[in-house]
Amino acid sequence: MKHKILLILLILYVIVPILMPVIFSFSTFWQDILPQGFTTKWYLAIIQRPKNYAALMTSLLVATGAVITTTLISIPTSYSLNRLDNPFGEKLRNFANILPLVFPPVIVGTALVQGFSRPPFALTGTVFIVVVAHSLLGFPFMFRNTLAAFRTIDERVLSEAAASLGANLWQRLRFVIIPNVWPGIMVGALLVFAISIGEFETTSMVAGFSAQTLPLQLFQQIRNDMRIASAISAFLVYVSLLAFIGMTYLSARLYEDSSQ
Amino acid sequence: MIMFSRSFISETGNLTFDYYLKIIQEPQYYRAIFNSLGFAMTCSLVGGLGGTLIGYYASRLPAKQRSLLLSIYSLPMTLSGLVVAFSFIVLLGRNGVINLIVQKIFNLPKSTYFDIYSWYGLVVVYAFYQIPLMTMTMAAVFKNLDYRLVEAARNLGARPLQVWQYVIIPALAPGFITGMSIQLAGMMGAFGTVLALVGGAKNLLAIQVYYHTSESTFNLPQAGALSFVLIAITSTALFFLNRIEKKLRPGG
Repeated sequence: MKHKILLILLILYVIVPILMPVIFSFSTFWQDILPQGFTTKWYLAIIQRPKNYAALMTSLLVATGAVITTTLISIPTSYSLNRLDNPFGEKLRNFANILPLVFPPVIVGTALVQGFSRPPFALTGTVFIVVVAHSLLGFPFMFRNTLAAFRTIDERVLSEAAASLGANLWQRLRFVIIPNVWPGIMVGALLVFAISIGEFETTSMVAGFSAQTLPLQLFQQIRNDMRIASAISAFLVYVSLLAFIGMTYLSARLYEDSSQ
Repeated sequence: MIMFSRSFISETGNLTFDYYLKIIQEPQYYRAIFNSLGFAMTCSLVGGLGGTLIGYYASRLPAKQRSLLLSIYSLPMTLSGLVVAFSFIVLLGRNGVINLIVQKIFNLPKSTYFDIYSWYGLVVVYAFYQIPLMTMTMAAVFKNLDYRLVEAARNLGARPLQVWQYVIIPALAPGFITGMSIQLAGMMGAFGTVLALVGGAKNLLAIQVYYHTSESTFNLPQAGALSFVLIAITSTALFFLNRIEKKLRPGG
């Protein structure tokens, strides 16, 4: 019994803060201990206000762009790194793991601003640079999952079998490798999407005024209007939760497959 | 690389170390370094202790409850720093729910409120990231702990304290150090939630970089120099922690 209570308390420690914006966003008024009333008008406000709506669309566009970019880079990278058996390959794989630790978002942001603020690459302030930033930030996570998926299947044996049956590189990729690592790619994609939707640090450095994403709006609203802020926060929580459920489901399937 | 090389070039285009000298000379900058180090270490210690305790607890739970706890503890990782800031303003802010409850029950004056906008408060907020992160690392470490060793030690007549001192702690140390280095490195660069809560009021290295890149005090070479210092500190810390971890490993 005592154990149950401790477990519940530990779970609440994470769940309660996550639920706060959700409760707040559905209540008309919250100044006292308990929130009052039920409403969805703060959500409607996001959709109806052109500024917020544009930010929502930008966020979705950027997240999709980042997912596509990281996927396109990660698959060939993990394919080749998975085949490097020498110590150098091992070093590279480890390096990819500590990359986000050594280069935190603030550094990525500074580097991008410095690298792309002058012609011919005057990209700061465009949606494009935000996609680049999110791809850079998301890449290690995508790569880690893709590589893990490559490791769980015996990629080389499969490829050789396919090659002996006369499949060329494209056919091997299309019909053998990608279907096998697909769950890993999807986990990575969900992770990148969730990170990109909520990313604020780097975005605020490179985005400027023309590429406002949802978190940037949230940053402004936290000081102005907590109720609009609550709806945006709640929306970000939903994205995180959905991505989380998807990832749990997919990785359960991935391990089931590999244990058979 | 561009950022790194630019930090050595002055406005007139000459090679210069001015921006690095400024970091040493101006209190605003070197205080930021100390603040960052202190803040990162405090948060990592809090996370390290909390995470180790919860990780130990999780390792003793039945498999189903353990995976439930651990999967819920993986949630904060993908959560936006702003959402966390928002949640904690509602929970612990000046008119936060918990502060109101405490006030109603104990009828305390306003000055005893928990202040989320202080250093102390920021540590509590960041613990929300750090404790779950460390819990996941330590749960894996505890899972790999060989309980036969513990039993063997007990059979040889070791008291509980001795078991911890000579068997459990040495076995856990490498994993603990790895977890701590992840925490420390993450905290050195963390600033999103701080920015949302207190703006620039708290002087951290990452915040300084941010303000020099994108706000009123626009000074890209200085930002480059500060970034380089940040990377240097983080890499050095990671390097030494890695060395310690290798030494602590059995046979290392």
